[in-house]
Amino acid sequence: MKEEKNMKGISRRRFIKGVGTGIVGSYVMLPTMKDSEAKITKSPKDEVLESVRTETLETTINGRKVKSKVEPRTTLADFLRDYLELTGTKVVCNHGECGGCSVILDGRAVYSCMLLALDANGKEVITIEGLMSGENLHPLQQAFIEHDGLQCGFCTPGQIMAAYALLKKFPNPTDEQIMTGMSGNLCRCAAYPNIIKSVRGAAKKMNS
Amino acid sequence: MKVYNPLNIRELDNLISGNVEKFTYVAGSTDLMVNENRWSEAHNLVDISRTDELINTFSIDGNGILIGSAKPFSDIINQQIIREKFPLLVEACRQIGSVQIQNRATFGGNIANASPAGDTLPVLSVLDARIYLGPEEDGKFRIAKVEDVMIGPGQNSLQNNSYIAYIYIPFPDSENHRWYYRKVGQRFALAISKLSLALTAEMSDKKVNEIKICAGSVAPQVKRAYKTEEFLTGKELTNKIIDQSRELIINEIKPITDIRSNSKYRSKITGEVLREALHSLI
Repeated sequence: MKEEKNMKGISRRRFIKGVGTGIVGSYVMLPTMKDSEAKITKSPKDEVLESVRTETLETTINGRKVKSKVEPRTTLADFLRDYLELTGTKVVCNHGECGGCSVILDGRAVYSCMLLALDANGKEVITIEGLMSGENLHPLQQAFIEHDGLQCGFCTPGQIMAAYALLKKFPNPTDEQIMTGMSGNLCRCAAYPNIIKSVRGAAKKMNS
Repeated sequence: MKVYNPLNIRELDNLISGNVEKFTYVAGSTDLMVNENRWSEAHNLVDISRTDELINTFSIDGNGILIGSAKPFSDIINQQIIREKFPLLVEACRQIGSVQIQNRATFGGNIANASPAGDTLPVLSVLDARIYLGPEEDGKFRIAKVEDVMIGPGQNSLQNNSYIAYIYIPFPDSENHRWYYRKVGQRFALAISKLSLALTAEMSDKKVNEIKICAGSVAPQVKRAYKTEEFLTGKELTNKIIDQSRELIINEIKPITDIRSNSKYRSKITGEVLREALHSLI
């Protein structure tokens, strides 16, 4: 209830769109945001941890400045999901072994589950929500659909973020580079052959 | 939990000097945050991933390279000079976790974490790396070997909030410098070693002038196989000598049985990998 009050009735979808589209420069003004900073002062977590000290976190998420108080032990994954409701980032193993929580931190793929939110201070984070331009899917997202690079789809956001970092580094990756670059992301449905096809397909499209 | 972000060594040393509180150093946090006991005991976190000298130092002189302890493995892998001079180190770094982990996990962290399965430890041992330990005393860092810092499973010798500042790796001084590195794990990525074996040697044709061998994951500490090295030094590498050294190294290691492997397999594979390594030299 508290959370809804904070958001002033904005639906989750709209909020995600707001933070999500920032990367391409488009900008959805939320009623709670006075300026370009999304100030999230209270979150469900703060209610429980009221007596716990908090630190200020200022970071850029999907091109948008975010300022928030966080409990220092909060992981970046929890911050994205619980504080910002950017639930595209999935926490699966919570142990840095599966890649489901992969996001981009200052241009590099990292596991957000084994990273303090405070570590993102002054840095730039890109999540799966940041890849779309308006309602248009990123070529990588499109490629995963076209090449059937998923079965249940739970690992897909992490796969796509790993692929995003990979293609930034190697715009024309060899199969070996794809396999190494994607090796930190597990898929229990074993859609691996199609994941590799998707990355290859996206690279082709992005270069044309 | 308090988090400190010293921006340079001076700030770091000021923070810890005379302070009796226990600090937990963290750089990439890839080891700390998955270790529930250590994570729950961490009340004063010192994030050294923004400490200028520790993150930015990469200086080369005529004799070797000095690397800041908070450099992530990706940065080490991407350095041309490391690829040229220490290919076995690149090989070891590339086999740590996954790309995402290599982007965060640090050179110094691998040593401080003191896991017998730390992939770079055998390599640093055979390369004669020197570890610079802070805080500075009278303007000087304490210098130690990897074997002196990693003293047991999860145990390092860093007392009284001392920390790893730099790692210095001397260049091999011979043209005939040869190397070998192999990690044996369940799979290529995201696997913790069952064995990692690093070897450097100086050869004149088939004769061993000098050899350094270190195996990881098969003993509580990272220790060079001195007896095997001694046996091999000055000998021509024949099949017979190689087979004998295989038996020797098996007697030198102390493998355990754990969830990743069992001691019998580890013994066997250590011997076999050494055999492969020695064959690769001739």
